[in-house]
Amino acid sequence: MSTERLIDIFTLMANHESEDPHGSSLCSVAKEITELSGAGISITSEDGGQEQLCASNDVAQGLLDLEMTFNEGPGHDASQNGTASEVSDLMGEGGQRWTFYSPEAVKLGARAVFGFPIHIGAVVFGALSLYRDSTGPLSEEQSSSAYLMASVIGRAVLVMQTGVPRGAIANELQGQSTFDFSVHQASGILSVQAKLSVKDALIMLRAHAFAVDISPSELAHRIIDRGTRFDFQSRVWLETDPKNREYEEYGN
Amino acid sequence: MSRESLIVSTLVELADNLVDSFDIINILTTLSDRCVEALEVDAAGVLLASPGGELQFVASSSESMRVLELFQIQTNEGPCMDCYRSGVAVVNVALSEANGRWPLFAPRAIKHGFHSVHSLPLRLRGRTIGALNLFRTLQGPMEDGDIAAAQGLAHVATIAILQHRAMLDATSLNEQLDHALTSRIVIEQAKGIIAEATQCRMDQAFGRLRAHSRNHNEGITLVASAIVAGTLQANDLEYTFGDPVKQAVL
Repeated sequence: MSTERLIDIFTLMANHESEDPHGSSLCSVAKEITELSGAGISITSEDGGQEQLCASNDVAQGLLDLEMTFNEGPGHDASQNGTASEVSDLMGEGGQRWTFYSPEAVKLGARAVFGFPIHIGAVVFGALSLYRDSTGPLSEEQSSSAYLMASVIGRAVLVMQTGVPRGAIANELQGQSTFDFSVHQASGILSVQAKLSVKDALIMLRAHAFAVDISPSELAHRIIDRGTRFDFQSRVWLETDPKNREYEEYGN
Repeated sequence: MSRESLIVSTLVELADNLVDSFDIINILTTLSDRCVEALEVDAAGVLLASPGGELQFVASSSESMRVLELFQIQTNEGPCMDCYRSGVAVVNVALSEANGRWPLFAPRAIKHGFHSVHSLPLRLRGRTIGALNLFRTLQGPMEDGDIAAAQGLAHVATIAILQHRAMLDATSLNEQLDHALTSRIVIEQAKGIIAEATQCRMDQAFGRLRAHSRNHNEGITLVASAIVAGTLQANDLEYTFGDPVKQAVL
């Protein structure tokens, strides 16, 4: 099931990126894969603020603006709580949880809105906000697709934050939508070595894997096996040769 | 204790957990441990499917079980994969005869000392959401009674997954699966921090999280989140189970 859907996502992303290399491919793919009216992605910055990454159309853009203006809405709730939020009828009882957002969102043309957290474990990157121009909940299939898309976006945002060209993202994400556990453990280790948050350690790990041209999980295994470490004092990566257990500088 | 009374006490313990701390990783790890005690198996573990359908590791009774479960996910073959794909139990497969079926998994599991494997589906309303895996070091089939009991425990695991967020206004099964898998990732991130800060092994890091969780009666995910957020220091975790009452039950 997931393999086919992942392939759909990557095919869509590759198509969108070739048409519009600087544009909003992730949002367009999210909209298509969930079969909803539109999608927007907001990113949580280090100081807790929200930045907009992309929107698939004007309504989705308007909805992201409302969330930023009023500091409430489906994406806001999803990234705050780390769980999905859903209001299947903005004019109904459910819409009352967002006093300012709901009536304005209806004016823009949205009738149902959904928010999914974009996170890798405890690290929150932002939220995927989706809307539909008619009322009603998500089907199980649609919610599966939204979760899968949110995990792909999580890795895409991580890759963007390491500074690779955007055209390379679809290529980079091939394979599973999530990391294997070694990457999570290694980002924990690295956060202690480099005295960083786990989020920055994860970005640093990903960036270094790029720099030395190995997969994130291969680098992660080296970090876990204590063959590679980051030295806080000298700000360099060190590698041990198993034969002589002395650390050697490499690939900075 | 007889098998029956072990299973009954397991059910009671899990029911307490459901009411008490509501941490899905705690519950499924306890379930794995109790399978080993109550059934004639040497290792047990649980895999769950993400809402997108990817099988992921959530709990195990031992490090070698964990390694083998991750290996199955990586190579996309093995009893759990077959069980998850078909939704049907895989029981009494002798690994010595399974080289054709699982060319990568069978020799690897034998290397870890296992000789027969079983995998039971976690099913809900026609959808398979994961698998409970039981590995044995002995040759020969498992008793019918043990298999029936194991399937019963698999059902309990399914109920636990459904139940554990019912009070928190959970809306869908997908949300509960996502929550369980996110909890596991937070725990892995915390294990990395603990292993580096206190220079211990990953399984010891997990043991410390678990001990702290028990001693303070807090969900293990909550403890792991505090470690990742930096509000709890790795050095302040307890090393052993300190509660004498709980220890007696264990």
